[in-house]
Amino acid sequence: MTKLIERRYYYEMRTLMLAVALAITVGGARADDAVTARSPALSLLGKTVGITVIGTDHYWDLRAYQGQVDEVRRLGGTAIAVDAGRNDSRQIAQIQTLISQKPDAIIEQLGTLSVLEPWLQKIRDAGIPLFTVDTATPLSLNDTTSDNFFIGEQLALRLANDIGGEGNILVFNGFYGVPVCAIRYDELKEVLKFYPKIRIIEPELRDVIPNTVQNAYTQITEVLNKYPEKGSIKAIWAAWDVPQVGATQALLAAGRTEIKTYGVDGSPDVVNLIKDPDSPAAAVVAQQPYEIGKAAVDNVARYLAGDHGVPLYSYIPAILVTKQNAAEVQKTLGQAS
Amino acid sequence: MPRRRHRTGWLRMGSLAAFTVVFVGFAIAAPGFLVVGNIANVVDQSAILGVLAFGMTVVIIGGGGDVITGGIDLSLAGNLGLSAAVFAVLSQSGSGDVLAVVAALASGVAVGFVNAFAVVRLRILPLLATLAVMNICAGVELVLTHNMVVQARSSLLSRLAGDGPFGLPVLAYLLLAIAFVLVLAVQCSPTGLRLYAVGGHREAARAAGLAVERHVGGSYLVSGLCGGIGGVFSAALLNGSTPGSGEMLLSIVVAALLGSVFSRRLVPTIAGTLLAVLFIGFLINGFQLINVSSYWVSGVEGVLILFVVGTTSLVRREMS
Repeated sequence: MTKLIERRYYYEMRTLMLAVALAITVGGARADDAVTARSPALSLLGKTVGITVIGTDHYWDLRAYQGQVDEVRRLGGTAIAVDAGRNDSRQIAQIQTLISQKPDAIIEQLGTLSVLEPWLQKIRDAGIPLFTVDTATPLSLNDTTSDNFFIGEQLALRLANDIGGEGNILVFNGFYGVPVCAIRYDELKEVLKFYPKIRIIEPELRDVIPNTVQNAYTQITEVLNKYPEKGSIKAIWAAWDVPQVGATQALLAAGRTEIKTYGVDGSPDVVNLIKDPDSPAAAVVAQQPYEIGKAAVDNVARYLAGDHGVPLYSYIPAILVTKQNAAEVQKTLGQAS
Repeated sequence: MPRRRHRTGWLRMGSLAAFTVVFVGFAIAAPGFLVVGNIANVVDQSAILGVLAFGMTVVIIGGGGDVITGGIDLSLAGNLGLSAAVFAVLSQSGSGDVLAVVAALASGVAVGFVNAFAVVRLRILPLLATLAVMNICAGVELVLTHNMVVQARSSLLSRLAGDGPFGLPVLAYLLLAIAFVLVLAVQCSPTGLRLYAVGGHREAARAAGLAVERHVGGSYLVSGLCGGIGGVFSAALLNGSTPGSGEMLLSIVVAALLGSVFSRRLVPTIAGTLLAVLFIGFLINGFQLINVSSYWVSGVEGVLILFVVGTTSLVRREMS
């Protein structure tokens, strides 16, 4: 018992410290912006930036994409923006054509790393500076992203705490091939090492694209039938928040609201779910995709202006959204209607 | 009679003119469109779609051009996904390139065999039979890959995805080579002629003593093999197998249907299909070069289907 209290205390302290750290980072980011505004203005005048994204069907993808396109325009450049509609071979074809268009830089957003890597190498071979959004690869001069180690850890700690450090959980792990999802999943495993009483139910669930919500709904409904007694499942974890929506709906439909759901991204509909006191959606780590896209383009502009000291990674702060802070975070993220 | 010839001639000239206008238009409007490297890129990007559309063309030739009751192979895209998965899974488990290629092609032909059996022996409408087989392919692919990306790296794959003589992509050469072989086999051989006869009027062909079933069944086997080849190409392009091959189906249908407007009698031909595939490829490429949103492409594909199916059925009705 004392141990549990100690642990709780430890996590409360830790959450508090992280909150302070986050506040400092957010504040710091704002201060940075102020500096940027005062320093010689960034410009992409006369520059062409190729933007290739795997898809824009998800809130995060679309906002990050818009952030890039808008920022290129704002800085006076031309954007050649192509959306592969979640099709790997289409993205490869678009990258091939982009290379032949010889833009001043190319920004690549998400997608399957093993598919992309040889083609990203071809971008480098063609002498075009390569930047990425949310794609961690040594081939990129700069990857602008959220700190997914922090995201994965925060979400896992919250989950472990919420369920009192024991019980069965379900995990959607269909996109381990996407580096950011792999990081979040590995962080979950890392945290669970120290919670031996939490068990991931095997086989893990596989989230899919498209039809993510319907598919997650069906899968969860099936598992609930297999584990009918209350308490046999404590929580559902997903590396992003679209499966979380399907899972949450399935829990409501089955009347199993004692199970909590966890996800990442912070799409407006999910933040609303978290805010709803009756919804089993317990937490989501909200990212700032529009800011991420914007920051990636600013890095390109700095690089093309001759500043080759652009860091390997630029992290845009993410926020853990829970029932307690959802309303407030909505305002911070500009999602409040 | 002369009026009818006039009409089909008009349609064919019109299509060729449209192709030329699009080509010249992009050549003027899009910088870099006519560069050898870009054209080679388009041929390269058309390789997978091209090989699959060839398979579809052979099936339509053998089964007849009626969109509802004629020959059609809806399982091609699923077959591609399955064959790529077979290749990737074997390759990842340490099998050599030869075994992986043979297995991928064999899986393609096996799918073709199931189609042939369903259409010829069980006499199921090809539209429904191949639709069902498409689902089987998707299911088996899921079993093999668990809907995950299966990575495959091998010397064969990197050679296929790389450049050949004159620095042009290997897949582009392969597409043209396969087209050449199929033109010889389908357009210039007795077997090809018999296939057209079977598809053109099945009863007449039977009365003339042709082995109708064997030809129709054979067309599905060829189509299956094309699916297998497409699978290997796809594995080379994507370094393995990824979910989502099914999306290609509409483009395959468009290419095979569009191809027939390039022939004198509005029948599907291999060369016509190659032109159609390249036309679609240049359209997508040109749009990107002049910086028009890629979202327009699927809309344009849909319009093309409506246009082709509409005009060819109009002209055919007048012919009969």
